[in-house]
Amino acid sequence: MELLLERTQRGQKVSSAFTQQELPACKPLLTPKWVITIFMLIGVVFIPIGVAALFASRNVVEIIDEYQTVCVPGRYTTNGEREQFIQDVNQDKHCNRTLTVSKLMKGPVYVYYQLDNFYQNHRRYVKSRSDKQLLDGNATDTSACKPEQYLSGDLAIVPCGLIAWSLFNDTYNISADGQQVTINKKGISWKSDREHKFGNVRPQYFPNNLPRDLNGSLIGGASLDPNTTLNEDEDLIVWMRTAALPTFRKLYGKIEQDLAAGSTLSITINNVYNTYSFGGKKKLVLSTTSWLGGKNDFLGVAYITVGSLCVFLALLFFLVHWRYPRRLGDTKYLSWNQHASAN
Amino acid sequence: MVDVLRDGHWRKLPWRRLVVGDIVKVHKDSFFPADLLFLASTNQDGVCYVETSNLDGETNLKIRKALERTWDYVDEERAKEFQGEIQCEQPNNSLYTFTGNLIIGKQTLPVTPNQLLLRGCSLRNTEFIVGVAVFTGHETKVMMNAMNVPSKRSTLERRLDMLILILFSILFIMCFIDSICSGIFINRKYWYLGLTSDVEDQFNPGNRFLVACLTFLTFVTLFSPIIPISLYVSIEMIKVFQVTQFINKDVKMYHKETNTPALARTSNLNEELGQVEYIFSDKTGTLTRNLMEFFKCSIGGVIYGKGVTEIEKAAARRNGTGIEEMESPAESHEKYFNFDDDRLMRGAWRNEPNPELCKEFFRCLAVCHTVLPEGDELPEKIVYQAASPDEAALVTAAKMFGFFFFRRTPTSIRVRESHVEKIGRMQDVEYEILNVLEFNSTRKRQSVICRYPNGRLVLYCKGADSVIYERLMERHNPFKDTNRDHLEYFGAAGLRTLCLAYRDLDINAYEMWNEKFVQAKSALRDREKKLDEVAELIEKDLILIGSTAIEDKLQEGVPVCIETLAKGGIKIWVLTGDKLETAINIAYACSLMNNGMKQFIINSDTKEIRDVEDRGDALETAQVIERYVAERLNESLRQAVESEQTQTGLELALVIDGRCLMYALDPELRGTLLKLSVMCKAVVCCRVSPLQKAQVTSMIKDGAKKITLSIGDGANDVSMIQAAHIGVGISGLEGMQAVMASDFAIAQFRFLTDLLLVHGRLSYLRISKVVAYFFYKNLMFTLTQFWFNLYTGFSGQRFYDDWFQSLYNVVFTALPVIIVGIFDKDVSITNSRKYPQLYKAGIENIFFRWRILIIWAISAVYQSVILFFFPIKAIEEGKNSSGRMLGLWDAGTMAFTCVVVTVNLRLFLACNFITRWHLISIFGSILAWFIFAFFYSGFRNPLDKQGNIYQVIFVIMGTWYFWYAIVLVPVASLALDFLHEGMRRWFAPYDYHIIQEEEKIKGVERDELLLVESPRQAPEQSLELTGLHGEMSKHTGYSFDSPCFDSFFASQEGVSMSQRSYDIARRASMRVSRRQSSDLGSDSPPPGHNSLI
Repeated sequence: MELLLERTQRGQKVSSAFTQQELPACKPLLTPKWVITIFMLIGVVFIPIGVAALFASRNVVEIIDEYQTVCVPGRYTTNGEREQFIQDVNQDKHCNRTLTVSKLMKGPVYVYYQLDNFYQNHRRYVKSRSDKQLLDGNATDTSACKPEQYLSGDLAIVPCGLIAWSLFNDTYNISADGQQVTINKKGISWKSDREHKFGNVRPQYFPNNLPRDLNGSLIGGASLDPNTTLNEDEDLIVWMRTAALPTFRKLYGKIEQDLAAGSTLSITINNVYNTYSFGGKKKLVLSTTSWLGGKNDFLGVAYITVGSLCVFLALLFFLVHWRYPRRLGDTKYLSWNQHASAN
Repeated sequence: MVDVLRDGHWRKLPWRRLVVGDIVKVHKDSFFPADLLFLASTNQDGVCYVETSNLDGETNLKIRKALERTWDYVDEERAKEFQGEIQCEQPNNSLYTFTGNLIIGKQTLPVTPNQLLLRGCSLRNTEFIVGVAVFTGHETKVMMNAMNVPSKRSTLERRLDMLILILFSILFIMCFIDSICSGIFINRKYWYLGLTSDVEDQFNPGNRFLVACLTFLTFVTLFSPIIPISLYVSIEMIKVFQVTQFINKDVKMYHKETNTPALARTSNLNEELGQVEYIFSDKTGTLTRNLMEFFKCSIGGVIYGKGVTEIEKAAARRNGTGIEEMESPAESHEKYFNFDDDRLMRGAWRNEPNPELCKEFFRCLAVCHTVLPEGDELPEKIVYQAASPDEAALVTAAKMFGFFFFRRTPTSIRVRESHVEKIGRMQDVEYEILNVLEFNSTRKRQSVICRYPNGRLVLYCKGADSVIYERLMERHNPFKDTNRDHLEYFGAAGLRTLCLAYRDLDINAYEMWNEKFVQAKSALRDREKKLDEVAELIEKDLILIGSTAIEDKLQEGVPVCIETLAKGGIKIWVLTGDKLETAINIAYACSLMNNGMKQFIINSDTKEIRDVEDRGDALETAQVIERYVAERLNESLRQAVESEQTQTGLELALVIDGRCLMYALDPELRGTLLKLSVMCKAVVCCRVSPLQKAQVTSMIKDGAKKITLSIGDGANDVSMIQAAHIGVGISGLEGMQAVMASDFAIAQFRFLTDLLLVHGRLSYLRISKVVAYFFYKNLMFTLTQFWFNLYTGFSGQRFYDDWFQSLYNVVFTALPVIIVGIFDKDVSITNSRKYPQLYKAGIENIFFRWRILIIWAISAVYQSVILFFFPIKAIEEGKNSSGRMLGLWDAGTMAFTCVVVTVNLRLFLACNFITRWHLISIFGSILAWFIFAFFYSGFRNPLDKQGNIYQVIFVIMGTWYFWYAIVLVPVASLALDFLHEGMRRWFAPYDYHIIQEEEKIKGVERDELLLVESPRQAPEQSLELTGLHGEMSKHTGYSFDSPCFDSFFASQEGVSMSQRSYDIARRASMRVSRRQSSDLGSDSPPPGHNSLI
């Protein structure tokens, strides 16, 4: 780069490639060649990735059972009646479901519950927790936990907040072909949560653990075992990683054995969690995983769609370019030259 | 520094220490430091000459005369005895009025503007003067004229405010929708939200209206990043950078001779420079150098002079003819003289076909004038004191031809003539001057009757071709027609012409006439008129000698610059205080006007108007002029519209003088004037006052809503500079008022090319890109949050962590856009100049139209959809291979990562020019995000109160989804923009696209000289065409400046003007007597050798 040297009175160099705006630079032009190449390239890369993702997703075997209506006796027709049934302490809420495994499910088979219309991402809900307390049990700074902060006015709740209070408490009992299947609840939460976010803290004054006569309205979700520390209560840890959307799945446990194709699963559900007031569905999901994760066609489909769109555009561009070529840098296309020729 | 009388001695003090009442000595060629009451001058008759071009742009000198009572306070001894009291009016801004009294002893003397020397003017042709400071500093008249410096903002910035308003309304609409929905959503049925008892107002289903109101505020804070606060800071940074690094340091705008680089005095208006449509230019000092040079002449039907004018050079360049061989001669470097022709120089004229006529020509130049020689009587040393630069040029020319005028007495002129009888022989000849028939603007000619030593009696006359031709003898004038052709040729080349003629007088006829003349001269009433009438009697039956052509020297490169700017779609108007003829000449010389144009001339100097004026009824005069102006304007407009419709392709030009302009600017006529003037390719306003300059500027600025630029160098341009969108001052010369009022200062008019076509265009391009990008970036970011809140029960939940949101604008996306704003460049600097047409994009505002913003907005909406839904869909039902689920903050962090990557990569599509700084800043920003994320979620830290993000980045990076999304989402988001950019270039290319491609193929020529387009594009006008066969008008280029007492504007404002002519005989006699007295040992200072002007 040639440097133009000029000196002002003060003898400073006034000129450089920078100030003269002549810095070396690459000036990529989006010529059709580039457009076509890049679109093609994206297509060529994306479609295989998408296909791989789609295959992975398709290999996942998933059994879904929606049970919130069937698990309530048929005489309760409206959600209001069902809610009363659920809250009635005297009713037996166990319910039996029978499912058939259509395809071999290689272990581990993951058991999920899926709720919908449940706004775990609601602002009031999301902030209603105290991470500090979860870690060290210190009950002083719980202002964020409103309205589940104190019991009877001054008894600090541990763990406080709406999230913990509304812990999901349906339970599942599965047997395959009459054989009891163990559902392993260890390792269902993220290690980082377990180790860094939840401490060796025992629940205290947790409302659901108290005699029901205190105040009926306080009943939320599950009660916590006062002897299990929070970092061991993986159901709570999973629940407290709030979901991004109002329809979400959470891991309930793992079945560390294969479920043979055609085998019958009989599942006993203790259907106690109240989703009836807001009309939310409850589903039980049994699923295997692939290298990519669970059954999720979206990524594969998205990759393939984007990839093929790019290929399509590349071809389109190519065709148009071939049909109506424009010579690169032809000055006759300059607006003023076009005006001139029009006149 | 100025000499001030303190303690009886002249002390040098800085101007600012000057106080009212100080007695001040001002030397020749220096500026008056304050408004001074003129006491005494070294000229014995108590006059001094003042150049007012800084105030009114007029090139002729003004005469000021001290009160006789104070004449002798010249030297220190006397001056310190001066005792008096001055009573005067309060400081005001009227330049041409002043009333006051000077009380000396018991005597009260009235003081008029004639005794007032205004700050801003400079002293000429006078050794020094002594005066008393009457007004100083900000109370001086010129400073009172200065308006408060208006704060200027660029149009683009004002449009930016509109954009911000739009963003505010988008913000409001989003908040409104969401808050209404949140009021509807909130319900006790969502028991897990704990809404039964003791609920704060924001979520209390019992009062949904209050819920909506409070949630509205939550949303305002959530969506507030849509308002690009950092935009203003970024733009300011970019602009300061452009100003300090690029404009101020551009080598191409650095003027070596005066060591002046360009100076941007504000950083507000950079991009405005890229959208200028109208340039209002002052003439003197801006377009021209205020230097007259004898350039060509025509004697006896033969043109002499090899010089090439700038306009001819421009024409030659257009035709592709070689320029080098046509370079004007550089050998004779005499001031006022730029002429070379071997046929005339060094006595060679004796061999020409008509040596007698040549001799008459030279004698006419040497004798017929009102110049005073000063200094040693040697050709090299002598200094001519001329009130008009034209005369100095003519007398200098005579000297160079061997007719050296060296002494003037009241009755005679001495000329040292060489080569007359014999080559090489010199001889002093004394011509007795019998009568001088003065020049004035109605006569347009000047005559001298002189007697040769041998008794021959001759009348030499020089003047406008129109008046001379009327008075030529019927016969004996064979060169009449050729000479007229030559005049037209000179005129077309922008030269100032005068015709020379002579007449041999018969002694008896002369005596008879002289009696009448003496009578007229001693008449008490209407002396001027009678003198004119008598002059008519003898100025007839003239014999044409030839004509002179003087170049009003243009600043370097002016015609080329004007032509280049015109190609860029910029219209240039000349606004000057100078005379009509001069203004038109300059318009020709700058190739603004040519003979191929249809010209509308609206001039108040017509016979009818003069007649009415003579009757002296001011009201009637006003009515007549008004009627005349209205008629002319409407007629011109009709013709203009007609020619537009018939599409003759005829270019129009409007010339209007200040007086007519005054009426034309009336509200009723304003509209017509505006319509007419925007149809014209060239507009020349002459005789306009500083205020009118500002009015014309405002008319276009406010009336036509176009972006205007004013350029000027003097105090008279200040108002115009301040009125325009952009004011440019010419720096590097004396006088700083224009520069102080300006927004940009450049040393030469021609640097406008670089300032506008390069810096302006690029700044506009960059700033509009930056603004559009900011708009996109913030809209897109906020929309993702909006989409998210549709799924959170409209609760106002954040999708991204607080710190992510805060740092988004300041850290993760801040630097790259600034880099683009600083560096982006569509085509090379060379091509910016080579293709001035690219500038039109700025005038038409192609890069910051609403259409462009809508495209960005569409892209923002599209991308926000992709950037929200893709990541969230990817993990919605997703689990990693160990079956665990991801949550809200995982989704948010993932989406945010995609946003940062996408937004930064988007810049690659937006910029034309990728340096390593681009790469560093873009990838640096992405990297900065990751580093921040690692630190932020790696440690439990006080920043993250809730610990939401703790460990999140590691969790998501451990899943395949993250890597899938980070590839898919940016590609899918940018595909639309990529497609758009690709299609734009290919199917609807902007001009700069084509030139970029050309650069790619041919490479960039780094030719500094290549300013004008290749000849292929040349307009069909050649010099011959413009010069001789012009259809519409035959412009002969007559122009001459004569000295007078008052500024033209003074008369226009109704201030009485004393019609005193420049009494050369008296001045000469004064000088003689002074010389004698100085011989006798008087203490008057020795004559200076400074050159004029």
